[in-house]
Amino acid sequence: MSQFFLQQPASGELHPFPHIIELACQKIQHIQLNSFVRRQSAELRFFYITEGKFEWVINGQPFTLYAGDSAVVLPQQEFGSDKGFLDPGTISWIAIQPLQFSKNGQLVLGSWSSIPENECKSIARLLSVNHLPVLSKLGIAGSIFNNLQKEIRGQEIGYSVRVNQLIDELLITVVRHLTRQNNLQRDFPQIFMKLEQALRNNLDHQWLVDEMAVMVGLGTTAFTEKVKNYTGFSPLHYLINIRIAEAIKLLKNTNKSVTDIALGTGFYSSQHFSTTFKKLTGYTPRQFRANNIKKT
Amino acid sequence: MDCIITIDIGTSAVRVFAFEMNGKAIGFMKGSYPTFHTEPIYSEQDPEQVFITVLYVLKNFLTEKINTKKYKVAAICFSAAMHSVLPVNKNGVPLGNAITWADNRGKKEADDLKKLPLAKTIYDATGTPIHPMSPLIKIAWIKRHDKERFSKTDKFIAIKNYIIQQLTGECVIDYSLASATGLFNIHKLHWDNNALAYAGINADRLPAPVPVFYSLHLRREYQVSLGLPAKTKIIIGASDGCMATLGAGVWGEGKATITIEQSGAVRVAGNKMIRDSKQRFFNYLLTDGYYVSGGPTNNGGVIFEWFAKQFGVFNEAYGIDDSIHTLIKEAMQVPAGADGLLFLPYLLGERAPLWNANARGAYFGLNIKHEQKHFIRATLEGILYELYSIGKILEEHRAFSTLSINGSFASYPLWAQIIADMFGKPVSVNNSYDSIGTGALLLSQTEMGVYRSLEDAAKTVSLQAAYHPNKKDHQVYMKYFSVFEKLSHKLKDEFEEIALLQNL
Repeated sequence: MSQFFLQQPASGELHPFPHIIELACQKIQHIQLNSFVRRQSAELRFFYITEGKFEWVINGQPFTLYAGDSAVVLPQQEFGSDKGFLDPGTISWIAIQPLQFSKNGQLVLGSWSSIPENECKSIARLLSVNHLPVLSKLGIAGSIFNNLQKEIRGQEIGYSVRVNQLIDELLITVVRHLTRQNNLQRDFPQIFMKLEQALRNNLDHQWLVDEMAVMVGLGTTAFTEKVKNYTGFSPLHYLINIRIAEAIKLLKNTNKSVTDIALGTGFYSSQHFSTTFKKLTGYTPRQFRANNIKKT
Repeated sequence: MDCIITIDIGTSAVRVFAFEMNGKAIGFMKGSYPTFHTEPIYSEQDPEQVFITVLYVLKNFLTEKINTKKYKVAAICFSAAMHSVLPVNKNGVPLGNAITWADNRGKKEADDLKKLPLAKTIYDATGTPIHPMSPLIKIAWIKRHDKERFSKTDKFIAIKNYIIQQLTGECVIDYSLASATGLFNIHKLHWDNNALAYAGINADRLPAPVPVFYSLHLRREYQVSLGLPAKTKIIIGASDGCMATLGAGVWGEGKATITIEQSGAVRVAGNKMIRDSKQRFFNYLLTDGYYVSGGPTNNGGVIFEWFAKQFGVFNEAYGIDDSIHTLIKEAMQVPAGADGLLFLPYLLGERAPLWNANARGAYFGLNIKHEQKHFIRATLEGILYELYSIGKILEEHRAFSTLSINGSFASYPLWAQIIADMFGKPVSVNNSYDSIGTGALLLSQTEMGVYRSLEDAAKTVSLQAAYHPNKKDHQVYMKYFSVFEKLSHKLKDEFEEIALLQNL
């Protein structure tokens, strides 16, 4: 890959792609002071290390990146090096400006992307819960960068479609690798434990099966089957177990109103909560609470 | 037609089975719940989630497999994992999570108690080894380290007691589960004064002990929501380990059973407690005057799974079963004894027979000819040598001539054959797909008069597919076992040193 540095608005090559803020491949031979100080990223950034060894800080955590590694920096996250410059080596990166990004599952890429809306939500959620922005041994990201460069400089027919497809592909590759790296794809009980923790931490969120599946790195059907095999319940029924269990604790140990408890544990109304609760336990939440307070 | 339902509240899941009165299986359903490790050595469960899961599975099971098929539930019988502790207040409301058997927070309390002569007195009376797993130690820990919870606690109960209390309104504990608390005098069938004094509580802070045949009735609300008649008998039942032993048909002298799930155990049964001078064996009550004795290992199937995760080939996401199959096939290409490669499986420390939390794993005897497949074979053999070592010492107290095996790992033919070869005894595989459920069925049938006694019930367990020991391989294993056994003792000091460095 040869060196280049494209940036909006100076680089005409990027004008057909307003969502690409920067695209670059740089071979660093001499240290340039203050070329890579810690700063907040406005964009979604992907880096790929072709050669060298870099010590960076991403989102407050120090990382050492080696050749073949990739790094992800989310909008609003801080990145850079404590030394303030890039060590000798070769790196590629791309900075993309999504129309919208927020940590609770909002990601709108724009009409250039063919990733559907619900999958974008899953991607946003997944990127946000991820605490390891460095992906080791992701050579495939290197070849995507290579192709991106070829397309954007060659400008052969259909290149604008290809460029956007390649960015989609980069995003999907990174997200898939993230789930695999976090789970090693081996220990379902272990990854399920992590998912369960995420469900508990956001119990009032209206979870979708698609969203849960992507956190485990599986398609929805395969995910549902795995969960059913492992827990005996469909993902949503399993979630109801957690919700009711939490609600029972709140009914017994607090004076919160049934409506507050219902909404706090993710039921969409106190009616919905009461019906589900009674179907399972034979008691309405109010009867249940009264029963447990007066009983000795 | 009448049927019997058994409910096993296990370590990670509840399993519900149904049987016709003659013992024919009708169906099965399970539901799992999580274990929380807020600290590495902590192991807790949410009693409400366990309860809701039990209720949900039972309800679905009744709806799908029982009520719609014109079966009438005559009895529901419970079994459960041992050693859990759940503090509840005077209204029966849980004060936080339940502490499960795997929780090691009481390590120091256990170590300290073991040094006192009181340890032997308590062991002789309660039959439970002094270990952080036992509620005796856990309650002592709560008293020392969680004073606020201790003072708010009206009763220390087990998860099983909680579930049954929710369903029936009665807070009682069966002799069997009580006998695994380290607080129950298994000879006199009441809470033991010395143990209570050590734990720092009175007997009224524990549930009332009742026989395993004790029966109760569902609260009206649950009769309605589950669609069960008021007279449905709820039999309190026993612990999972005792049920599995009964379900394996082990009753009286001459028989032993080996269970290999994540952990493992070797068990025998009889009308006397095994008084091991080193306190290595547990003695739990199956019923009044009848003891299930044996030794548990931490390092069962979980170790082979560890190996598979590290070195196995994964062709599909989360395909560990597949990977384990492939590894076992490769292990078959290596002769007995793994050409001299030995494995000490103590990755999780060890309970019986070493009772040393600091024990660690090792491969020993490596030479330049060993290949990857030797490691597979050695890993498998190491896990089974450990079970053999428990069985060997157990036999010093009570001889047995036949073995039955159960549990998900024991059912692999290679594992069964190696067990037969190591012990030099014929091995049968338990016919029923779940020996705990079978045990609970036999207990219910006995209660309902189908059998005159548990002994008669145990005799009906049919065993199939015997594996016969190969003499030559037996000799090979015995030679290597002698090295294995010496190593596991010789390395005691080094285990301490390395554990200290690992700081686990």
